[in-house]
Amino acid sequence: MAESRRIKHRKTVSYAKWAYIFIIPFFISYIIFTLVPQLLTIYNSFFENYMNGLQQIGPNFVGLANYKALLSPGQSGTIDLLKYFGNTMALWILGAVPQFLIALMLAVIFTSARLNIKGQGLAKAIIYMPNLIMASAFSMLIFALFSKVGPINKYLVASGIIEQSFDFLTVKVSVRSLIALLNFLMWFGNTTIVLMAGIMGIDQSLFESAEIDGSNSIQVFFDITLPLLMPIMSYALITSLIGGIQMFDVPQVLTNGRGTPNLTSTTVIMMLNNFLSGSKNYGRAGAVSVLLFIVTGILSTIVYRMLAKQYKD
Amino acid sequence: MTIANSSRSRKAKVQLFILRVLAYLFIGILVAMCLFFFIMLLLMSSKSNSQLQGAFSLKWGGHFLENLHNAWNDASTNIPRGMVNSFIVAMSSALITTYFSALTAYGIHVYEFRFKRAIFTFIMAIMMIPSQVSAVGFIQLAYKFGLTNKLWLLILPGMAAPVVFFYMKQYLESVLPLEMVEAARIDGSSEFRIFNEVVLPIMKPAVAVQMIFSFVSSWNNYFMPSLLLTKPEKRTVPIMIAMLRSADYSKFDMGKVFMFILLAILPVMLVYAVLSKSIIKGVTSGSVKG
Amino acid sequence: MSEVKLVNIKKVYPVIERNKNKKNVNGHRTGNLQITDQGVVAVQEFSLDIADKEFIVLVGPSGCGKSTTLRMVAGLEEITSGELYIDGEYMNDVAPKDRDIAMVFQNYALYPHMTVYQNMAYSLKIQKASREEIDRKVREAAEILDITDYLDRKPKELSGGQRQRVAIGRAIVRHPKALLMDEPLSNLDAKLRNQMRAEIIKLRERINTTFIYVTHDQTEAMTLGDRIVVMKDGYIQQIATPQEVFDHPSNLFVAGFIGTPQMNFFDAELKLRDGDYWVDVEGASVRLADEKQERLKANHVEEQAVTLGVRPEHLLLADKGIAGRVTVSELMGSSRHLHLTVDGKDVIIIVPSTGGTGNYIGSDVALGFDGSNAHVFSKATEKNLEY
Repeated sequence: MAESRRIKHRKTVSYAKWAYIFIIPFFISYIIFTLVPQLLTIYNSFFENYMNGLQQIGPNFVGLANYKALLSPGQSGTIDLLKYFGNTMALWILGAVPQFLIALMLAVIFTSARLNIKGQGLAKAIIYMPNLIMASAFSMLIFALFSKVGPINKYLVASGIIEQSFDFLTVKVSVRSLIALLNFLMWFGNTTIVLMAGIMGIDQSLFESAEIDGSNSIQVFFDITLPLLMPIMSYALITSLIGGIQMFDVPQVLTNGRGTPNLTSTTVIMMLNNFLSGSKNYGRAGAVSVLLFIVTGILSTIVYRMLAKQYKD
Repeated sequence: MTIANSSRSRKAKVQLFILRVLAYLFIGILVAMCLFFFIMLLLMSSKSNSQLQGAFSLKWGGHFLENLHNAWNDASTNIPRGMVNSFIVAMSSALITTYFSALTAYGIHVYEFRFKRAIFTFIMAIMMIPSQVSAVGFIQLAYKFGLTNKLWLLILPGMAAPVVFFYMKQYLESVLPLEMVEAARIDGSSEFRIFNEVVLPIMKPAVAVQMIFSFVSSWNNYFMPSLLLTKPEKRTVPIMIAMLRSADYSKFDMGKVFMFILLAILPVMLVYAVLSKSIIKGVTSGSVKG
Repeated sequence: MSEVKLVNIKKVYPVIERNKNKKNVNGHRTGNLQITDQGVVAVQEFSLDIADKEFIVLVGPSGCGKSTTLRMVAGLEEITSGELYIDGEYMNDVAPKDRDIAMVFQNYALYPHMTVYQNMAYSLKIQKASREEIDRKVREAAEILDITDYLDRKPKELSGGQRQRVAIGRAIVRHPKALLMDEPLSNLDAKLRNQMRAEIIKLRERINTTFIYVTHDQTEAMTLGDRIVVMKDGYIQQIATPQEVFDHPSNLFVAGFIGTPQMNFFDAELKLRDGDYWVDVEGASVRLADEKQERLKANHVEEQAVTLGVRPEHLLLADKGIAGRVTVSELMGSSRHLHLTVDGKDVIIIVPSTGGTGNYIGSDVALGFDGSNAHVFSKATEKNLEY
């Protein structure tokens, strides 16, 4: 009787199983394409496994030999990995310092009710634009413009600023500056927008009450804006730092993977790339990745804690 | 008294005026820097190789279409093929990333289940891990199973995108009351249908912004594709651009090179020209709130 | 035929789940709810037979379990134990969509990306109704609710009252067996709320269905319900018609919850004199009415200290009786509320406003009441001693 009606009975009216159904694709994909390769990377770091010409060497278990090799001095007497890490950090700092200073200034200017800047929408659109440009194409453009026979050199010679063309890509300072310039250009707009959102998220009445208390705009900036902006600043810094450690496209394309001059612009990921694309040295590359993973983790924790503490005080 | 006041106010006015001028100047310089390279690119891509080899000039070269024609039909670089490949990868990634991120965020936002908290924390934790850390194993597996040069291998990993997930989760928290889902349940909708017909349309702004970001980052991606795509007909645009650099550029038609660069960034620039407002909005709402 | 029957329904929220949420269960306070090993007991021992086309109102303070009960009937919440029948059919494990019920939510929960028409048509579309049928039913419901003019608008273009109508329209469009309403009027301002309350009464006459209505507002409960279910801390306190609940509250909580201003309570003594029950309070002594005498006798109630309850409108100014001093006088229009201090306690009485300025404040008065309007509650159990 009742059975003749089309009423579906289920075990429960709980919907928990749908949660699992909906999140399962994410986890399947994560496991196959990220987690398993990550574990395999760690596994590889304990093996000798590379191509010597056409001859496959390994895989042989070698314990920590890959790490030892990475962290001991090479023929030149320097530890390559540390040198490249130093390069990476130098390149990041060179770009990030102006990036954050200028972004902070811009964010304050844009959000200032007193200055009341017009045409903000257009200005923001333009300064954010480089963030979307393909890094490899941007680097290629810089290279083409700054190369020995490129237009910049032609202009500098023609206008008599320099006597003969200057090869920007053979001098450490100029290569690093170009890389920093590119990174700065690509990221300062993004940081400006993030910091602006942070400033606009601060309760407006705090600024007003500080002004009534007699603070001038510089005092307001240091006493109100900056401390309250710290959490969002720390977030921006951490992401920038982690992005910086992964720096690859710009120096790779600009120096054609050579890290000219004298490997002073070779980054850690460029080293990783060399291991992977050339000799397929999975052992060494795995060890680099593991170290990279550890350093990224430590650095982001340190910066986060430091800034969080500062904010509390 | 009044005289003193007015002189003080005049002083303040002058001060403000100077500040304003300085501010506009500051902004102007930065805007000019950003535009400089883009304008140079446009200018250079209008010049013939001989003009580029010759003396520097800011004049429009007049060979823009010629360069475009040459670049487009260059057999060794085959930029049209690269753009098609890039488009396939970027578009599919964008669709897959946003759909599955939204689905995952919805699953965790709406349902009560045992490991909800743990799973959310886990995704937040893996958000910080650089993608390069898995590259070694990924490449090794790709070679082992003969999957190099398969474009889908660059697309499918997009199903698990923690950052996009986080954005979607935050968005859902602000726009979707649970009653909406319950109303749809009582209306007779199945759980999948609720997501597709009720929730996804509500999330449209977030989905659109994240689709753009996913598209752009995939279009610009160089590291992974360069390690995976070895066959010329499978190359994406960034690989082709990077290869220009390793070629002996002194023998190259530089006008064509500038045109390649222009073609590489043009699709994204066109999208940006139309949607810059919502893209910029997306930058801020995507970041962690203080 | 659409009877709804709830048998000994219980709802327990596992503690783990609650901790995970950090928020309270469904936004309810869990203050006085019983907590067992299994978790927080939101509803227990809930049994109720709802007749076909009956209008039942679940009323109580927030956290009393009324919404949880409604959501269990809807199938949005799992029933921990007990049985739910709709038209004699066991429904505990049936999905909401197969229960043939509709629900109106407090925040309306209209789909923002659909027009009013699409909102109302959605459930019919899912049932794969023909386009003509959908159109006929939507227009019919729109006609009833007077929203035909807004069919092409999106929810955000509507006012609160209009959204409310659409939410109701979406619910009635498929002629559900039972129409569930969860605080449907609490997001409206006072004036609109009164208006919509009247509309719901009218609506009820036009559509033949069973209503289960949840509210915390006792006025809504009194004016809308055929029967009221008063709840507190997960338990049913009383199930009765509005009149019965008002005239014969089953315990102290119901007596205080139903009726505005609130019933006055006094410490009193229940005495037996010559076989009759009397209440002695603040020097006054009143013989209870005959019907009350009979009920108390039937229960073999003994002499004891009691809580005496008398509604403000039943306390009268008298020559002698309970002594009090007027502290506040509020003119409400046709009547006047006097706040008195009686033995340190606040007491409110309602007197007719007699035109004059009536400078009552500070004056000493005496109060009396009729034996038919006195409610006696046990000090120990807080139950009405008559029942």
